[in-house]
Amino acid sequence: MTNIIEVDRVSKKFNDTVILKDISFTIKEGSINGLLGPNGAGKTTIIRLLNGVIEATTGIMKVMSFDPKIQGDEIRERVGIVTESASLYHDMTAWENLVFFSKVYGEFDPKRITDLLQQFDMLAFKDQLVGSFSTGMKKRISLAKSLLHHPKLLFLDEPTNGLDPEGINEVIHYLRKVNQEEGVTILICSHVLHQLETICDSYLFLNKGRIFEKGTKKQLEEKYLKNVDLVVETGLNPLHSCSYKGYTYSRKGPGQLEFKLSSKEEITPLLSHILNESWVHNCEITNRSLEALYFQIRGGKDIE
Amino acid sequence: MNKNIIITIAVKDMKAVFSSKKVWVPMIIVALIICIAVPSCIAFFGLQFDLIGTSTQEIEKPINAFIKDFPNEEMRNTLAAFPTLTYKFVYFFLTFMMIPFFLMVAIINSMVTSSNSFVGEKERNTLETLLFAPISIKDLFLGKVLASLIPTLGISFAAFIVSFIMVNIITYPYFEVILYFNSTWMILMFWVIPILVLFNIILNVLISAKVKTFQEAQQFGGLLVLPIVGIIISQASGMFFLSPLTLFLIGVVLLIANLALLKLVTKFNNRNALFQSQIH
Repeated sequence: MTNIIEVDRVSKKFNDTVILKDISFTIKEGSINGLLGPNGAGKTTIIRLLNGVIEATTGIMKVMSFDPKIQGDEIRERVGIVTESASLYHDMTAWENLVFFSKVYGEFDPKRITDLLQQFDMLAFKDQLVGSFSTGMKKRISLAKSLLHHPKLLFLDEPTNGLDPEGINEVIHYLRKVNQEEGVTILICSHVLHQLETICDSYLFLNKGRIFEKGTKKQLEEKYLKNVDLVVETGLNPLHSCSYKGYTYSRKGPGQLEFKLSSKEEITPLLSHILNESWVHNCEITNRSLEALYFQIRGGKDIE
Repeated sequence: MNKNIIITIAVKDMKAVFSSKKVWVPMIIVALIICIAVPSCIAFFGLQFDLIGTSTQEIEKPINAFIKDFPNEEMRNTLAAFPTLTYKFVYFFLTFMMIPFFLMVAIINSMVTSSNSFVGEKERNTLETLLFAPISIKDLFLGKVLASLIPTLGISFAAFIVSFIMVNIITYPYFEVILYFNSTWMILMFWVIPILVLFNIILNVLISAKVKTFQEAQQFGGLLVLPIVGIIISQASGMFFLSPLTLFLIGVVLLIANLALLKLVTKFNNRNALFQSQIH
């Protein structure tokens, strides 16, 4: 896979405030990437820089081999973006909005608009004013809008903000579909880590204008998952109050024991022991979630 | 310059103007009252009921003195030839005093649409998306100017045609001349007003791109009405006469100002600066 985005030691200052400091990363073509960090970390600034709507103070960037500083329009022609606010005209219908933006991108094609509305389950609402839509529906139209011109790269800034759990699942589902069916490379900015866990191939962790860690979840797990917290739903009642066959445990609730293991390799023998004595209905590693990894990474790093 | 994009933006903005009654109804009402109702009422009630002529012995003297000192000879002679004070007043008002009123309507209407252009997009959070699109700032700017120019001139010309018909139906039996049908009015309507409206729109769109809120844009835009108020006062006092030549020269000055403003617009063609000043 080739790199679709290359960022090399990029910094951005507004007046005297440093927004981004010496950030470097690459994004592989066809992948889904999460740019994660708290509010004010500089995520939106990165998207704006990559689109050439603002200029970096120092550093080099390449987006599809174009330089955002001087070839912004070439990039913007090939990139779709969903900004934090849906950025649609509320006094226009969904159809009118999409027609307007397709003409702005010089790609007016009624069939493409119909297909996208169908893909995002919005065809039935095409003649309704966007102002009457729920946040989730607006997000879907916004997604459709960003794909009108068959972009190769899609930027999403907090795409799940203001959505209910159902809406979040829908957006995640559509993004996966777009990535798989149209081969679009996706960069998602978010501060809500668990929402992106199931969709991203790799992650960039950003805080106070610096990227403090990056990699796939597997790479991050290998690097940071030093011990395993395993919660087992079982009828086992160990005689010792904090140790079972040499494995340290604590009781989490009725029928729930949490074991502290030094590696994943200990899981199978532990479960064999338990199953010899009692039933097991469920077991789960609780400290490998993206959020747990994030806090482990932050805990072990000087990210100021 | 991409014509299709300019037209797409202009059409979208014009649709927005005419889909909101709160925007287009006041624009029509202002033109209806100032350009049509005021001259028609003055002509009809003035001439039909001779409202001024009956009890105005005491004001006849100063008005006659005003006519005597009037700077334009042709107008002076025409006014002096009318038999009553009412005729003099109505003729003077319609051919002379209505000019700044038409200018004012053009200014007000162009301000309503243009001051909202960029700030309106910003307040709807759509400016960010437009700046993320592969369109030049110049095209965006020209689309906004066109979207204000077409409705403003459309309303001004329509108001002129209706006013022309109404006023002449009422006054022709009395004056036996066609009012508004002379070089002064032709230069006003088809030279000065289009250039003035364009000037006002470019300036307002520029202001709209610089300020943070619609209210600020309106405040700045409102200042542009002041020169017109000045013209009304000078016209009414006879201090300054808008002859065809004066009007033509006003047009030339405004045209030069337009070119200077357009030069400023090309400097302003910087996405980075617009983005950093308007999007947060």
